[in-house]
Amino acid sequence: MDESKKRLVQRLMRKIPTKMLKTTLEKWGRLTGEQQRAMDSVHSKWALTENLLAICEENELAVKHLTELEMIYMIDNPDHGMWYAFQLTDPEDDAQSVDLTQFKEQFKSHLRELVREVSIKIKKHTDEAVWIRIAWGDASNHPDHLKPTYVVHYLQTPYVFVTRLTSKQKPMLSQAMVLSTRYLYFKDANLSGRNLTAIRDLLMRKYQQVFPTKYPSPLTERKQTVTNPHVEREQAKPAANRLQMACEAFGGGTLPQLQSAVYKLETKFKDHTNTLMTEREEPFRCVVKFSSTNLLESLKNCASSGIASTPVTPLLSSIPLKGKNYFVITDNGPGPSSQMRQTQN
Amino acid sequence: MSAADEMPDMERHHNSVTRTPLNSVAVQRKSKSKSYRLSYRNRIGAASRLGLTPGLTARRLNTSRKAPESNKITVTNEQLTLLVKTEWKLSYVTPLYRFRHTQLKIYSRQLSAFIAAEKQQGLAVDVEGTQNTFRVSFSLVLGMTESVDDAVTVHIQIHSKPLFAKQDEPQRTVWSGWLTCINGNPEYLRSLPKDFICLPLFCSSGAGGLTSLVKSWFQQSFDCCFGPLEISHTSLQWLMALWTNCQPESSIRQLKMIWTLPVEPQLQVTYTVDAEDAWELWSSVRKKNTAGEGEENSIDIEEVMSFMQGLKAHFFRHFRLDLSAGSLNEVSTALGSAKHSGMIKFSNSKYMITTLMLLTECALLKMPI
Repeated sequence: MDESKKRLVQRLMRKIPTKMLKTTLEKWGRLTGEQQRAMDSVHSKWALTENLLAICEENELAVKHLTELEMIYMIDNPDHGMWYAFQLTDPEDDAQSVDLTQFKEQFKSHLRELVREVSIKIKKHTDEAVWIRIAWGDASNHPDHLKPTYVVHYLQTPYVFVTRLTSKQKPMLSQAMVLSTRYLYFKDANLSGRNLTAIRDLLMRKYQQVFPTKYPSPLTERKQTVTNPHVEREQAKPAANRLQMACEAFGGGTLPQLQSAVYKLETKFKDHTNTLMTEREEPFRCVVKFSSTNLLESLKNCASSGIASTPVTPLLSSIPLKGKNYFVITDNGPGPSSQMRQTQN
Repeated sequence: MSAADEMPDMERHHNSVTRTPLNSVAVQRKSKSKSYRLSYRNRIGAASRLGLTPGLTARRLNTSRKAPESNKITVTNEQLTLLVKTEWKLSYVTPLYRFRHTQLKIYSRQLSAFIAAEKQQGLAVDVEGTQNTFRVSFSLVLGMTESVDDAVTVHIQIHSKPLFAKQDEPQRTVWSGWLTCINGNPEYLRSLPKDFICLPLFCSSGAGGLTSLVKSWFQQSFDCCFGPLEISHTSLQWLMALWTNCQPESSIRQLKMIWTLPVEPQLQVTYTVDAEDAWELWSSVRKKNTAGEGEENSIDIEEVMSFMQGLKAHFFRHFRLDLSAGSLNEVSTALGSAKHSGMIKFSNSKYMITTLMLLTECALLKMPI
């Protein structure tokens, strides 16, 4: 078996955890019953890899079959690796009528025009998501299957989510997307995270929204803590208000799992007790990064517990409101987010 | 809660004012005397009248420090490389009974033998990928004392060969540590009985198992005690200010603070300020020095606290989130980094001494006697 195929198999085996292997292989459906049973009976990663290499030889599987396997795994486990959100803007008149077949054809042909050697695989998942796997090559190199880019586009929405993308690849992907979806621009949405589901839910507002009501009813807190009844009585109303405002800002129920938010502050230092700094012309430059296993949940709890003052400042509530987690703040309001923030691996 | 409520009173005192180092509320205790030394003696006197043990239990962290100066170190470059760019775990150690700086060769042999013996007894020394024989070397680090009462710094290294090393392959250092005392309180040092050497600050780097063994050997040989040394919130603020103060001479590149807020799930805030901006804020809170005798270039705790207040206020203005509700865990600049859990790293040897003076003070405050 040639070296590149072998490396691809090894990489796949490193990526797919042993417990997910069985279901993924079954979905792939390229193993005979006997081969599947052989894989099931072995447990060490090394042995599994050797088995799979042998099976690939036996069944004469090509690289395209292996990339199929990778894609199946990725689609079923989208919450690993880093995802970056993009948004298509300024639709042409016929943007809404682009259907799946048209998009697939157009995307493939446009990208192939832009990139000499490229391997594209498109698959439609059940929930309106179109998954694209791109292996990039160039004039002198075959497509590199060890560093593919995954793109997920929800048809009929302007949202696109992308994994690793270098600065050289970005303009080409941008062009292909724009031409095949009939929009004008492909912009960085300044939102990134490990969970595709989370950033998708955040951007498309697929989580429980809480709106201000004229007759607010106390939302039930999930954690019941034992406190002094006098304190409870006194604090009941302010606590309920804080909780209401926290939920209005961030949402109710289970919140999408974001890991971090970054604010680049370029505002002037204002403090009436420090005239020297207040008179300064230049902005006070600093960067603030919030991180947590579930950022929105943490921020919501800061607001409901009083650590953050309510009503929640627009800087923090912009995260769910605008579906972003990277902000440049200047004195004239949030700055232009045209920063090319895409990071490469 | 508005940012304005957070600012402490900026009263100007020419004397040093003692404060109990609480988190955000400054409690002022005016001392009637004119100088720090005098008030220290007063406190000692009062404490002994009350029947409490005199000495360091009555002390507090210095409220005034000299600004860090560079180029005071006369340590050789070779030895400096051993100390910088490594992250050290801090502990305090009580004075060592009959430790002699002249007997380092003997100590090296004794400690090697001790480690070998402990391994024989089945004590696991989990140093990955090394062979079983450890060689220990003790050395003196000359040029690292500030005052005449400071004992000379002692450096210890443990070497071992990699697991599948060839015969002539050199040993590599698998553990290192050092004991030091920089500008220790002279009254305390002079009050110690004759046979005791005080090197209260212990820094270690390497496998935890070896650290425990080294500590055990010291405890057995010199009748001393080790304990963990955390870097308090006040000390972290001091380091922020002292490092930022170096900006004109030696760029700090950025001032980074890491806070954690007590919510579920835990929220971490990393607040990074540009070097120039941090410097300007720091200079703006410096009191104008009426060049008093011997007081030039000294930094007061109030200036340090104003600096921190300014940073918190700027943060609050934007996020309406009170950092005082959380805890400051880590502070770092291009000159070094410090963690509340008791880790320190010197990235630049030029300003090491000032940092070590602060840490020595912290260690001495932990002395149980």
